[in-house]
Amino acid sequence: MDWIFLIGLLASAVRFTTPVLYAALGETVTQRAGVLNVGIEGIMLVGAFLAVLGAVATGSPWGGLFIAIGAGAILGALHAFFCVILKVDQIVSGIGLIVLGLGLSGFGYRVTIGSSSQLTAVPTFERVDFGPLTGVPGLGPIVFDHHLLVYMALGLALALGWALKRSGLGLSIRAAGEAPEAADAAGVEVNRLRFLCTMFGGALAAMGGAYLSIAALSGFVENMVAGRGFIAIACVVFGRWNPLGVMAAVFFFGLAEALQIRLQTAAPDIPYQFFVMIPYALAILALVLVAGRAKAPSALRIPFITGRHARSRAHRHKEDTL
Amino acid sequence: MTHTLDARRALVGGGGALVVVIAAFGVAALFIVLASKNPFDTFAVLFGYTLGNAIGFSEVVVRAIPLTLAGLGLCVAFRANAFNIGADGQIMVGAIVSVALGLALPGWPSYFAVPLSLLAGALAGGLYGALAGHLRARYNASEIIVTIMLNYVALQLLAWMIRGPLQETMAIFPRSDALPPSASLDVIIAGTRIHEGFYIAAAAVALVYLLLNRSALGFAFKVVGLSAPAARYGGLKDRALIVLAMGLSGGLAGLAGSIEIAGVHRRLQDDFAPSYGITAIAVALLARLDARFVPLTALLFGVLHVGSGAMQRQIGIPFPLVWIIQGIVILAFLYLSYMRGRARAITPEAV
Amino acid sequence: MPAMTAPILSLTGITKRYPGVVANDGVSLSLQAGEVLGLLGENGAGKSTLMNILSGLATPDEGEIVLGGATMRFHAPKDALEAGIGMVHQHFRLVPTLSALENIALGDPRHTRGRLRLRPLKARLEALASELNLSVPLDTPVGALDIGSQQRIEILKALAREPRILILDEPTAVLAEDERDGLFRVVKRLAARRVAVILISHRLDDVFGACDRAVVLRQGRVAGEGRVADLSREALVRLMVGGDVAAPSRSAEHAIGAPLIEVENLTVRFGRGDRRLEDVGFTLRAGEILGLAGVEGNGQHELIDAITGLAEPASGRVKHLYARPGDARLSALRAAGLAFVPEDRHARAMVPALSLSDNVLLTRLREPAFRRHGLVDRRAALALTTSLIERFNIMAPGAGAPIGTLSGGNQQKLVLARELSTEPRVLIAAQPTRGLDVRTVAFVQERLLERRDAGVGILLVSSDLAELWALADRIMVVANGRLKGPIAVAESSFAEIGHWMSGS
Repeated sequence: MDWIFLIGLLASAVRFTTPVLYAALGETVTQRAGVLNVGIEGIMLVGAFLAVLGAVATGSPWGGLFIAIGAGAILGALHAFFCVILKVDQIVSGIGLIVLGLGLSGFGYRVTIGSSSQLTAVPTFERVDFGPLTGVPGLGPIVFDHHLLVYMALGLALALGWALKRSGLGLSIRAAGEAPEAADAAGVEVNRLRFLCTMFGGALAAMGGAYLSIAALSGFVENMVAGRGFIAIACVVFGRWNPLGVMAAVFFFGLAEALQIRLQTAAPDIPYQFFVMIPYALAILALVLVAGRAKAPSALRIPFITGRHARSRAHRHKEDTL
Repeated sequence: MTHTLDARRALVGGGGALVVVIAAFGVAALFIVLASKNPFDTFAVLFGYTLGNAIGFSEVVVRAIPLTLAGLGLCVAFRANAFNIGADGQIMVGAIVSVALGLALPGWPSYFAVPLSLLAGALAGGLYGALAGHLRARYNASEIIVTIMLNYVALQLLAWMIRGPLQETMAIFPRSDALPPSASLDVIIAGTRIHEGFYIAAAAVALVYLLLNRSALGFAFKVVGLSAPAARYGGLKDRALIVLAMGLSGGLAGLAGSIEIAGVHRRLQDDFAPSYGITAIAVALLARLDARFVPLTALLFGVLHVGSGAMQRQIGIPFPLVWIIQGIVILAFLYLSYMRGRARAITPEAV
Repeated sequence: MPAMTAPILSLTGITKRYPGVVANDGVSLSLQAGEVLGLLGENGAGKSTLMNILSGLATPDEGEIVLGGATMRFHAPKDALEAGIGMVHQHFRLVPTLSALENIALGDPRHTRGRLRLRPLKARLEALASELNLSVPLDTPVGALDIGSQQRIEILKALAREPRILILDEPTAVLAEDERDGLFRVVKRLAARRVAVILISHRLDDVFGACDRAVVLRQGRVAGEGRVADLSREALVRLMVGGDVAAPSRSAEHAIGAPLIEVENLTVRFGRGDRRLEDVGFTLRAGEILGLAGVEGNGQHELIDAITGLAEPASGRVKHLYARPGDARLSALRAAGLAFVPEDRHARAMVPALSLSDNVLLTRLREPAFRRHGLVDRRAALALTTSLIERFNIMAPGAGAPIGTLSGGNQQKLVLARELSTEPRVLIAAQPTRGLDVRTVAFVQERLLERRDAGVGILLVSSDLAELWALADRIMVVANGRLKGPIAVAESSFAEIGHWMSGS
């Protein structure tokens, strides 16, 4: 393995990491507050589509990004409406979001940009100009040759890592996901907090989708998220619900993705489909290795109803949902 | 108070599913308007094409066969509170194995080759589902994520098979050779594509109904789905039940895939069952996990899928509208279950 | 004694209805600063509802809360906290993964606005703790601490908000004797600092040990009140139960038979932080009630799970002499004659969403009597359930109604009826009377004695020593990771066993 290969590998690993990292960080916050959103794949798709549409409409990638974030927050709020307010099954609601997101993005794309016969130019993010730093051998391509969204994702991981651990809001979020009745008794508005965290998670998922369509590529392709939303959820488990651990997990997957693409050309005798399988198989392996031991927030998936005793956790009214 | 309760009860009674469907079409109409088309024309095309003539309807029935089988499978898993999102992968794996076997048994009589290859497909899908069930039961790995990841793995497996080991002898298109007639399902109504899989689906409805509503195993699935600790206390093996439910679920999906090939396409190809697995989720949920209603909801989604082609050609409404309707059906179903819970909450939990 | 000035808190005509039940029916009471008020009542008398109203967990349908001269209406716990009402719940409201310090900071804007500021809080808490002589480790995750420490953290948490009123909900239920004395000393010191304390309990000792005044609730109404100095135990009991309750009759003579279960050198792990109950050994015989006493959460649950085959013990052996050796799974033991009433009724003994008759099937699914042509014979289950409803006098709309819609007492009756319907030879019953009203308690106890006399061997787990004292032939106690006894009730004294429970 030579240096050029390794540098190229790491540089593209960073790029593959970014969209999943946004989604995974958002999901981390959502889950730490006690809500599981398996629908972020759908939200990422909507984010990817609206970012393109918004960028074209406003003439700026920033316009697209903000519209995507807003839509993500709205879809997060929809999930929160079902999970936090109606208190119905979080998984079924998430499945609904997946399918809805698939539909909204595909339908929206085909009746807008996708319907025109000529190519629409999509305003996209430029890479940050670090001047001569980009040319530094090795370090330049890996560290100083990315879009602003890449650096923002890294900054966000650090900020969330700090905030969950050291801020008052972070303490409330952890308590809401671990022992909501305790948080409630201490004066934390658990359901409000959960609602907002779910919106936040939706906004970040959409941001991850937007990165795909207006930074990594320039345009929308149907189902372009290709399972990254689910890999993000696996990374939350793999990173043990800790933003920095999640970042490491996502980077590991980014590396696997970058590697498998290079292996496709490096080993043409092996059918490329087997390389494409690698990240998905790794996600399963990661879950198997970690999930049994990792401790999810205790109240994850359990709706909080104020004034109930802790023991009533035990009988979640499953039949109400199915 | 009583008044609203009565209204709710009425709403959540038999008419519930209808309300969900109407809500979904209402939202769909909104999006059609947003796309600057006329929703009434669109729905007229949708229903006219599928329900307005015999051939259209026969296509709906053809589509409903795999949706029924896969939907029944999801009823089994969901009853046991195992969220099998992997019917798509199980369909593909089932189809691959059954085609491989069907092609390998050219000289065999059909009364032997057909059941054998279908059973092999069901077994393959079942093992694929049971794998996810095992990982959940043994390692607490979320079956949602695992089954979705397995969908992507199966997709690649299929892509490789029809470009590699199972590719047609001519080696031109990415598809397998055609199954010999002895390994295919016959058409049962001349002039249509409705095939013998219809009988298999009908039998499956009865069997799954008996399994879920009448058998001890079905009772055990229900208990483990509602409360794993209570199941253990009752002496049920909760982990084995999860694996079994996922296995049966995957088996029915695998059977759906095998039948779709043996009855309709006759050869393996890309996208032979486009997103049937996800559609089957909506089929199962809208049927409220009751096997008896699955064929009806499968027909409904059959209408959507078959009609979407006409919608696209004649009105210019793209296919993903079907996704939107399915997504809304799932969410509206959830809202309905919330109302149902409301109507049932009569007694206080604790005083 | 506090001087009679304007009350700091007065409740007037508080009424709270739940569908089918009036939990509080025109309750009025008042409280002075520096006073310790005992709020007494049976389970279901309405104490918890009243306190939920005071702490913002429930809103009253009628009535008025006046606090320090202002009329209050609490919509969330936050409102009550801000008004100066601190609450120590019976089921602790602590986040087990957080330290005491973080638990106390939680929700307190002085320490959680923006960055977490734990250092000034720690200094303040250390001062408060030493002043009240409450020793508490502040930096360990509270889940790893024993129950007594958790309760002290709860108290410290409430006091850190500087409340005017402190409510303690059944604080002694989880404490051993000497810990209880420590709690009462803290309560007295608080009263001396002009904090008004409401101590909720169903135990008379608490009232006489710590309170100035007592209010008795019965069936949602105030049944009586008075200064503790003027009250007698007998008078309080009559107020609580609304009459005299006969103790269950003990038949003096009953034959104790062959051994049924032998437990040898059994060790189980329990709780967070890998605590152990070690080296347990005893024999359960036919025709006896063997009582297992102990403060809750001392490994009883895990011990029972190990005996019933639901969990693997860390080491040691359990022999079920009535069953074929080799197969120790619960289903096999059941087939051989074991019945089991677990303590966690909602989580295990039943499935709330299923019907009564399906809940009867829950443990009897394997029996040929409930099978027909390979399918479940629901008619047989319905018939049996209907007869059980009748025989056990269960208040239910029918065998097909969801069991979750029944009251706790009726749910427990069905669980007991189901377990006894197999004509078992061995019965393991954990906390079978907890949370039930007086009459249901007596009913359940009578059924146990009846079976004992018929030769069933009964292992009865209870944290209520008085109950065991009334029913058991022999009693053993878990405390500090060890089992003491068993000792024959006839050869022991109540005080001695009480002493064992406190772990000394």
